[in-house]
Amino acid sequence: MTLTTTRTPSTPDVRVMRRPSTVTVLRWELAKLAAQARSRAVLIVALIAPVAVVLVLNGQEQPPSDTIYGRHIHTSGYAMPLLMLAFAAQWVLPLLAAVVAGDIFANEDQHGTWKTILTRSVSRGQVFWAKTLTAILFNLSVLAVFAASTITASALIIDTQPLTGLTGQLIASGTALKLIIAAWATAIAPVIGFTALALLLSVKTRNPSLGIAAPVVLGFVMQLLSSISGIDLLRRFLLTTPFESWHGLFTQHRFYGPLTTGLAVSAGWTVLCLTLAYLALRRRDITGG
Amino acid sequence: MSEVLAVDAVDLTKTYGPLRAVDRITVQVAQGEVYGILGPNGAGKTTFLRMLFGLIRPDSGTLKVLGRTWHDDGIATLQGVAGFIESPKFYPGLSGRRNLQLLAGLDGGVPSARLDNVLDVVDLGARQSDKVGGYSFGMRQRLGVAAALLRDPRLLVLDEPANGLDPAGIRDMRALVKRLANSGLTVLLSSHDMGEVEQICDDVTIMNTGSVVYHGSITALRKRAPQQAHEITTTNDDRTAVLAASRGLEVTRTDAGLAVRGPQDEIDSLVADLVADGIALRGLSRRETPLEALFFMLTEATPDTPTRDLLTAGAPR
Repeated sequence: MTLTTTRTPSTPDVRVMRRPSTVTVLRWELAKLAAQARSRAVLIVALIAPVAVVLVLNGQEQPPSDTIYGRHIHTSGYAMPLLMLAFAAQWVLPLLAAVVAGDIFANEDQHGTWKTILTRSVSRGQVFWAKTLTAILFNLSVLAVFAASTITASALIIDTQPLTGLTGQLIASGTALKLIIAAWATAIAPVIGFTALALLLSVKTRNPSLGIAAPVVLGFVMQLLSSISGIDLLRRFLLTTPFESWHGLFTQHRFYGPLTTGLAVSAGWTVLCLTLAYLALRRRDITGG
Repeated sequence: MSEVLAVDAVDLTKTYGPLRAVDRITVQVAQGEVYGILGPNGAGKTTFLRMLFGLIRPDSGTLKVLGRTWHDDGIATLQGVAGFIESPKFYPGLSGRRNLQLLAGLDGGVPSARLDNVLDVVDLGARQSDKVGGYSFGMRQRLGVAAALLRDPRLLVLDEPANGLDPAGIRDMRALVKRLANSGLTVLLSSHDMGEVEQICDDVTIMNTGSVVYHGSITALRKRAPQQAHEITTTNDDRTAVLAASRGLEVTRTDAGLAVRGPQDEIDSLVADLVADGIALRGLSRRETPLEALFFMLTEATPDTPTRDLLTAGAPR
């Protein structure tokens, strides 16, 4: 080893290390995320996959009539984004929400880097909020790309004819576009809820695979539960139910009850999961990773 | 030397269930010192360092780092402190330089020239663009030192920096640590290697099964070390043992032959005696150094064994 460099670490020009702000830690986390091939891959999939799905479904002679808006996909390009939203809510959105969020804490355990981070002047709280904000920002970006790609592809590949509402009324093209954007926007709250759930599982399991897969499995379980009759009260509190709250926007007389309930349920899941995750991280003894 | 101690740990205790990993230890390190925490695996060294970095909380006792406490100052306790616990870990998919850049970002960033500087100090300049996943263990250890130096610390904490390195890596790492120590940094070095601590440190705390069994200077410890022992094999070990005992040498039987302990001139005379007696000498080699022998005595001793009495000046605390 060559030891000829003359500058020594404690010479008089010692820098005064200040405690980094949470924004600094957020920037650090975002830089790490940007360096990950997986995060770029998720964004690319969110951009390209909808185009492929729209092309395939549009080419099918038999539309998926048993799915909401399935029978209308050949008559209006605005039906396709609603069909896609309903389909994506079953597992695609929970999966997209979990790919980064389920890994973001656990990969520090996997790489053993908790000690590397926490032996600098950065608190666990700062790391927690930086990772949480990064995961939420990323997932909302993915949702936006997914929605924009779906809506654009549908309009370009199919058409922009007026849309038939859920109660049979005709919705003009311009209004339909606004309502579709609003419908996709209703997915923001449950996506944040699934992000929080994935973050909790990432902290608790310390295993990236579990952190990613478990929210998807839980999403499926919730879907199954919601299909069981006689448990309407429980169904209201499931995190998958808010994904259906847009239905009221497409009826003759719009109703917003499910939207407000969905927002409250999503907020409840988010607060509960983030609180549990925060406490778990704060109290953890960092002995391994 | 500043009045504020670099490390002032008093009666620290940490338990994991029934295991008392650290039992009321007191360690005080003055600024500018090069201090060793020595002990076999499981002695509690890393647990102590984890408490110092706030990775785990002590059950009882007080701990000040450069005058700050975790209780009162929180994360500000790590102002001026850098180092690594166990082997330093990085993101394997990123280059060494990118890893350092990211870590520096947590401290507000550093100029590119400073990155070049620390990479040169640890001799990783030529490999800085390679992914850390392809680094050898020694290179990752050196990158860990570089990451610590980026913080321009007043207290550098290194946990077993030579652990797992090949002989050349050990030599290089020791040279690096010595050089850093000579620059005026306070260095707290944990090791299970007496030779390493002896070469680098001024003062030492020796731990065993969670307790301190010695603290004091290396010089004082050296004075209390036993004489150098030699492993000796001959064509007649029984007769050799008699001759050695007649010269006042301490003789014990080993698997290979005999271990004799005593002044060097008496060992030399014993060899002459053997030749005069017609006994062929098949092997003569030094065993562990006196300090190593003392270390083994201390750390293999139970609280009731008399080896602890060797250390009346450096009393356990």
